[in-house]
Amino acid sequence: RGPAGRGMAAAAFERRVLRRAAEHHYLRVRLELPDGGARPNAAQFKQLVVTALRELHGEVGAALPVDVLTYEEKTLSAILRVISSGFVKLWSALTLLGFYQNRRCAFRVLQTSPFLLALSGNSRELVLD
Amino acid sequence: HPALSRRYVLCEVVSEDPRCRQCIEDRALGLAVRDAIARVHGDYGLACCSISFTVKYLNAYTGTVLLRCRKDSYRLLCSALPFVRHLESRAQRYPCCLNTLHVGGTIRTCQKFLIQYNRTQLLKLLQNCTNEEERQCIQKSLLSCSLTEEQAQSGEEEEDDGTE
Repeated sequence: RGPAGRGMAAAAFERRVLRRAAEHHYLRVRLELPDGGARPNAAQFKQLVVTALRELHGEVGAALPVDVLTYEEKTLSAILRVISSGFVKLWSALTLLGFYQNRRCAFRVLQTSPFLLALSGNSRELVLD
Repeated sequence: HPALSRRYVLCEVVSEDPRCRQCIEDRALGLAVRDAIARVHGDYGLACCSISFTVKYLNAYTGTVLLRCRKDSYRLLCSALPFVRHLESRAQRYPCCLNTLHVGGTIRTCQKFLIQYNRTQLLKLLQNCTNEEERQCIQKSLLSCSLTEEQAQSGEEEEDDGTE
């Protein structure tokens, strides 16, 4: 509803607030593998994400529609997309994943957003001179 | 007592193998159900449902089972029950399936439902009797059981002759 009062006619605009309306959530994550061993390729990375979901949330979790949109093998960082209803399940599964092929590993979630465009910039990495 | 709300899930074990009845015991069933929850909902689901989880009542003759769980996790439990495919006991494993009959907030509501359900089941069995001898047996047991005010137990009748 536009601002009213002070004898003015009702303004001709309308404000709508939609909460939790986004269909997907996007996460920028990085996998840390402290031992300098072989790096997983894109398929193995996705397998790792699905395995994490299966361990914590079972077959229902493993069936969540998760997509690896981009993956950089050199830095082991990726952008994941998940359906909004499974966002909490995915993040918690990534947090609690400890091993990749019996090697210690950890997922670091760098940024999340319901909009993919928002992941293009990260104010935390801003360098201010 | 809203903090301690529980749900009671009434189900029946259906099996083609009559030897499956000997596996209907609380330990074997509890393990089978928890294993199904772990497969379907993972570590989180298993931990969620295990709070206050127990097999409250069993009837090996009718295959009736009453499970208890927290109100917050009864949906996880109910959605995992169709994934129980066999019961294991003493190194014997028999295929079976669990039909959910009723979900109630108290044991009393489940008991009321079970009494009603057993009545209709007995009548159905009577209709499906193939020979006269079975018919006589069931009619006799139907007529002989009575419901007294003090004992609510006698409302649940046992099935006769193992007619499936």
